[in-house]
Amino acid sequence: MMGMPSLSTILALLALPLVVLRRGTLAACYGAYFAIALFAAILWRRFPDFDPYLGFVAAAVLALTAFSLFLACGTEVRWSANRAALIAAIVYAAAIPAMLRTPIDGDEPFYLLVTESIVHDRDLDLANQYRTLDQSASGRTDLVPQLGDPVGKHGEQYSRHEPLLPLLMAPGYLIARLPGAVAVIALFGVLLVRSTVRWMEDEGVSEAAARAVFPLFAFGPPVLFYATRIWPEVPAAFFYVETLRGIRNRRPQRWVPAMIALVSLKLRFVLLAVGCLVVWLTSARVNWRRVAIVAAIIAIPLFLGYLATGNAILAHSWRELIPAGNVRGIAGLIADGMSGIAFRAPFYLIALFAITRWRSVPRGFRDGILASLLYILYLSPRPEWFGGWAPPLRYIVFLAPVLALGAAAVWERVSRGAIALIDAWTVGLVIHGVAYPWRLFHIPNGESSIGEWLSAQYHADFSRLFPSFIRMNAAAWIGLIAVIAFVLVLIPRRKIDLAIPLFALALGLGFRTGPQPAGHVEFEDAHVMHEGGELYPPYYTVLRVAYRGGWVLEAPDSLSFLAYEGPWTLDYISGPGAIIELGGRAYHVPATDRYASIKVVVPKGERVTLRCLSGSINVDRMTHD
Amino acid sequence: MKHVQWIVTAAATAFACHFAAYYDTPIDRALPLIGVVLVFVAWAFEDVAVLVAVPALMVAEIAVADEGARLVALGGIVAVAVGYPVSRLPGSEEHRVAGPPGHRATALVVASLILLRWIPTPDYTAREVALILIAIAITWVLGRTPFAVAVAVLAALATPAVPLRTLALPLLVLFVATLARLFGMPRLRLALPSAIVLAFALVFFAWSGIVARAFPYFLKMPRPVAGKYLVNGALAASQSATLDVPDGALALIVSGANVPRLRHGAALGVIQPGNIAVRIGDAADWGYLRREQFYGSHNPLPRDPVGKLRGYGYEAWIDGAGRVPLPQGARTIRVIADAHLPPGASLQVEGFEIVRR
Repeated sequence: MMGMPSLSTILALLALPLVVLRRGTLAACYGAYFAIALFAAILWRRFPDFDPYLGFVAAAVLALTAFSLFLACGTEVRWSANRAALIAAIVYAAAIPAMLRTPIDGDEPFYLLVTESIVHDRDLDLANQYRTLDQSASGRTDLVPQLGDPVGKHGEQYSRHEPLLPLLMAPGYLIARLPGAVAVIALFGVLLVRSTVRWMEDEGVSEAAARAVFPLFAFGPPVLFYATRIWPEVPAAFFYVETLRGIRNRRPQRWVPAMIALVSLKLRFVLLAVGCLVVWLTSARVNWRRVAIVAAIIAIPLFLGYLATGNAILAHSWRELIPAGNVRGIAGLIADGMSGIAFRAPFYLIALFAITRWRSVPRGFRDGILASLLYILYLSPRPEWFGGWAPPLRYIVFLAPVLALGAAAVWERVSRGAIALIDAWTVGLVIHGVAYPWRLFHIPNGESSIGEWLSAQYHADFSRLFPSFIRMNAAAWIGLIAVIAFVLVLIPRRKIDLAIPLFALALGLGFRTGPQPAGHVEFEDAHVMHEGGELYPPYYTVLRVAYRGGWVLEAPDSLSFLAYEGPWTLDYISGPGAIIELGGRAYHVPATDRYASIKVVVPKGERVTLRCLSGSINVDRMTHD
Repeated sequence: MKHVQWIVTAAATAFACHFAAYYDTPIDRALPLIGVVLVFVAWAFEDVAVLVAVPALMVAEIAVADEGARLVALGGIVAVAVGYPVSRLPGSEEHRVAGPPGHRATALVVASLILLRWIPTPDYTAREVALILIAIAITWVLGRTPFAVAVAVLAALATPAVPLRTLALPLLVLFVATLARLFGMPRLRLALPSAIVLAFALVFFAWSGIVARAFPYFLKMPRPVAGKYLVNGALAASQSATLDVPDGALALIVSGANVPRLRHGAALGVIQPGNIAVRIGDAADWGYLRREQFYGSHNPLPRDPVGKLRGYGYEAWIDGAGRVPLPQGARTIRVIADAHLPPGASLQVEGFEIVRR
């Protein structure tokens, strides 16, 4: 079953050093490959029960890491943007089969349906596609139109997604169906890598820094996971870089088409386009001609929108232009355990450090950040910031090349310890994401993959130690402060580099704290041992994050969890009312049509059992008084 | 100032690893020591990146519940953290250019031997210290190259140090190395093979005693006993026992008692019908791999070993039980101990391996 992808991965890994490494560095890289393969074989013999796929992915990613180290530190390296692109092409080609092990998910199958409609029917009406899902290359027969999909006057079923991406994927789809469509995205990934490396050269980033940063950018999250799946984010990142490069190099024939393509990929990128136009407008002396061009670029899409739908701003409203002033989204983008930069793409923390060196970083980085501010400020108060049902950091993938440029610009000023930590964490994320691509999708329930896994392993609430801005927890602001401290104090290179020991200390203290009972229990969380009952609302409920959630119990269902002795407040909702037993005491829970609370007492002893004796109850959470 | 960094790092590492140590084996309990040893290596190379092995060790301790996998994961991390610096030790050319950073090779030898021989705490501390000193001497004589480190560590690893006269082995290596250098042997670097050999020993440092005394064990695919039907019989020379073969029996599990001095191929007994010979090589003396008994033993590791892995670190050993096939279709077998077994020796029939139902 693993044969062909394994062989292609091995060949890809063997080919990589030939692209850039020479003589002694090349030999040393192959030596490292040999050592990794040898130990992988020994361990495979010793642990025949170990998941062979995970083992293979781990060995392959470690080999890629070894190659990346030789690329970054080797003395005999031939480097150019084209070679970087070729390396990216090889790696993405090897990664695509891994990503397609499970059916495509999120918005991906809908993009593919539109592609199929374009290819087969020459239209955008998906009604017949939904009727014949068994013929779709998506492998998904469970698809129904998404919430908010427009319906035509004659019953046409359209997708709410912009058609440019499906249009771009059509040639690839015609050649090789689903893999061909993904290959088109990977091709954009390759172009993105090339453009970014060229951009680094334009901005005067040293070759050593570019070589060091390149693997973390191209083969780390989120770019790797979006370059090998069907989302508009990587093409958007490419067009964004091209726009910024075009503006920088004063080549309108380059940046105007790129900007139009960017906006056509997703309407939300119009905020980026506005930012880019402001950057362009202010990059030289303002004159009436420039103002007129900007006005025209803004007015034309609005006019077209008005002509098409009768509303210039489509399904949006002008009220959305009023900033909500919510810092929670930005904090979540940085530090959330499930979908924040610190946990899901820590390499970009270096770019946050670059922001603190604003005056000394390249102009391209400053322009890229400034141009994206409008987008980020409007995105952050909205629930979309955590990405919905998509791999992490979906909404800021376009910013990855800008952040990579910033990271490269300050590379020599970054602590070696912090780099080692970030590298190790990134390697872990890549192994996890490639081996288990379906785990890239995480329901926004306030838990993170690691917290959930540890909670399930130890039956203790480890999730509370990971900052959650989706379901605010005590660790959220502390985590944000810790991340800011990491960026400001530990990332800068200093005479005394304590990044790793302090991280280790935090890890150790966290592990000691995790198994202790918490002062707050969410009954749907992984650390609660459920004996019967069911999750509310069901796992795949659309916009599930908008619900309070909980766990529904009917007699004789029960659940157990760790809790301190003493008085607690139990939040619940119960239509018929219920009698529950908690720690040996029975409580009558009155019927209610909205969430209510009762006081309960937890006796001494570590694990507490809550049992439904009669009736039915949705227990939401319990808080220590 | 830079030393302050490493002292603070060592202290923080020890505390961090102490907090992370969760399981109860001597290796898990020694996590703080392992962490500090890695800090020592990083200090010697002035390379903070090596320290990333410390949180990696902690993550392995926290995340991997299965004991065997966890200890190998710890070993793998340690192997990379030590093996990578070994490969960075300079060869003769670099020595001429940059001067020999002798303390680095010394640090690697000390770190490796602490990991391989001092967890759990050794009973013969003075001998272990002497062994480290001899290993350092070998390293210096051979030029403080990766090859020198590997030779020194392997010579020390292969030395049981019980009885004391076994220290002659590393002394012999030292003597030969000195002669070789006197007769013009160059400083061999051999970075990759040396790093691989050292890394192999370190991957299995949790059972370094087995690496030292039963090297091929970790290269064999483990075939744990599916199920066991106990017999627990010991047959002295010429004695025999008739055994009913239980349903689903796959093989007979046998070992020797007081036969450590028998060499490969020496007869232990025979199984009838079929006249199936049981020899040293099919099984071994039950305790021959114990550190104290290994010196006087001539037994090899059984071809199909089923001995239980016992102990940790340099005290680890496996018993000498091996699988012997049963006669095809036999419902009853007769096991006869060889008439030439030495006085006091016996063939131990531990039981039948059976299919677990």
